Amino acid sequence: MNLAQVLNGLALGALLMILSSGLALIYGLRGVMNFSHGALYMLGAYLAYEVTSQGLSFWLALILAPLGLAIVGAALELGFFRRLQRRSHIEVGLVTFGIALVIDRLIVIVWGDNTLPVRAPKAVDGTTNVFGTDYPTYRLLMIVVAIAMAAALVLWLRNSRVGLHIRAASHDTETSGILGINVDRVSLVVVMLGGALAGLAGTLAAPYFSVSPGMGQSILITVLIVVVVGGIGSVGGAMAAALLLGLVQIMGNVWLPSVAVLVPYALLIVVLLWRPTGLAGKRV
Amino acid sequence: MSSVPTAVSTDDPAVVPDLDDDAGGMLDGRVSVGLERRVVLRGAIVAAVVLVLGLFVPNIITDSYDMGVAADGVVLGIMAIGIGFLAHRSGLISLGHTAFYGGSAYGLAIATTHWGWSPTSAALFAVVGGTLLAVAIGALVIRITGFGFLMLTLAFGQALYAVSTLTSVRSVTGAFDGISVTYAGENTKFLGMTQAQLGAPHTFWPLAWISLVVVAFGLWLVGRSRFGVTLEAIRDNEERARFSGYNTYLPRLGGFAISGACASIAGVLFALKASYVSPDVLGFQLAGDSLIATIVGGFTILVGPAIGAVLYIYAQGKFGDTGNLELYMGLALIVTVIFLPGGVTGWVVEQFRRLRTLVAGRKGASRS
Repeated sequence: MNLAQVLNGLALGALLMILSSGLALIYGLRGVMNFSHGALYMLGAYLAYEVTSQGLSFWLALILAPLGLAIVGAALELGFFRRLQRRSHIEVGLVTFGIALVIDRLIVIVWGDNTLPVRAPKAVDGTTNVFGTDYPTYRLLMIVVAIAMAAALVLWLRNSRVGLHIRAASHDTETSGILGINVDRVSLVVVMLGGALAGLAGTLAAPYFSVSPGMGQSILITVLIVVVVGGIGSVGGAMAAALLLGLVQIMGNVWLPSVAVLVPYALLIVVLLWRPTGLAGKRV
Repeated sequence: MSSVPTAVSTDDPAVVPDLDDDAGGMLDGRVSVGLERRVVLRGAIVAAVVLVLGLFVPNIITDSYDMGVAADGVVLGIMAIGIGFLAHRSGLISLGHTAFYGGSAYGLAIATTHWGWSPTSAALFAVVGGTLLAVAIGALVIRITGFGFLMLTLAFGQALYAVSTLTSVRSVTGAFDGISVTYAGENTKFLGMTQAQLGAPHTFWPLAWISLVVVAFGLWLVGRSRFGVTLEAIRDNEERARFSGYNTYLPRLGGFAISGACASIAGVLFALKASYVSPDVLGFQLAGDSLIATIVGGFTILVGPAIGAVLYIYAQGKFGDTGNLELYMGLALIVTVIFLPGGVTGWVVEQFRRLRTLVAGRKGASRS
């Protein structure tokens, strides 16, 4: 296994990290596994395509797509999560499953079902020499953005007032409500942030994988696995599990190519049976 | 088929206050469980009547396409009432019943095509194999509830999907190409039907219909039995059931196995009818769609999921070509979960009950 393969694992892990931290945040606060997260990611990728195909810069897409998805997140929170917060979490999860189907189809109606290319910006389109290995610069950028995002998110959660409220509300919604935290507002922030992160992941993925219908569903299962393996609702656990899965997946591709597709499932089954609360347990 | 007795519907807490209203309400609202001979006999008679009436469906629906929709709907319905049984009795939502459905479909295809077994023994093998698979997977996952259960069942189902598509097992499963079911041995008939007859909706129908009614009647009996009541006790409060001295693991595993057996039967019927099995029978889409059919149909009523499945197959034929099927499925799921928690059948039964209380109330008023 050479350095390029390790970096490939990290690039995949980076993408999963951005997606799963948003999913874990939403789960922590609303107790709902958001099955529409894959669809949000796909919408982000299509928005990035739309922005770049208008002749605008990819860097602009990197800002606009997350913003657009934050708005979608707000709509989800106000239209569904807040109204249904007294319902069982499984029911709300099923509603998000339905939302995912609707978004998936609407995307195809708007943009068609062909695979669409998104070009990486010129500045990062070439390769960079990493310790003697030529590696696509764009993938390095993905890794850097993901790590920067993760660090910023963790610092924000740890040190800001809103972050404190998010952690408190994730730990015990009712008590933090009694103590004066506006849980609805915190939840709005979290779901918008989760949507924005999905949009960011979609935009980053667009030049890497191209943009096609079905991209959301195929990554959704992996991201769900990451979140469950990391410890449902734990952002740190999700990030660690994302990197782990990215690396394990690439290692599997190299060493056991015939059964590599089974790696995520095997990981999930082993972790859940051995430690049902996930690697990180119940910590936020 | 909605006239199969649904003792299940009486566990709605909303009907309990009606008990004191008048004698009529009391008789209707009594929580009825247990297998008294009279009740079982009545259920059996209703099931037999429904069974016989259903056999005349091919005489009414002459169009081959419509008949195919009905037959496919009934086959999927057998899996859906299995999923609904688990959801209703154990409160567990499974996204992995495709493992047993697809597993048994592949079992039949492999046993007949590769091993040259007769369709009858292959079908038996596949149903038993699918059920054993459910026992094995259930033994691992049944302790975990909620999202964990949903995720684990999804993972097992998708893992099996991934296995079926591996190039290293291409000689057995045909990978993405699938396998055509061919009957090679001397005995190529299943219950007296040739492969062509199995493939034609009108001749296939009795097999599917009888299976559905038998499975539904079986689940009805199980639900009313001591075992079914124990399952509900565990669903409502696992800890309390355990402290009351019940083993909570084995009944839940049993419920899961029964539910998996339904999916296995459906898978075998699918393979018999289609004579072709591809990884789609294990796919995420079927897992999601069968669950949506179950929920839209409404699993608080025993046969609700089967009605949901027929509706789904009908919608598939109508919208599948335009590609908007998933859009409508998504909308149907959202609307059902938010506004009709009991599904379509639950809503109908509730309206019916409301009407009856209204009429009973009027009668009571005129009497006094």
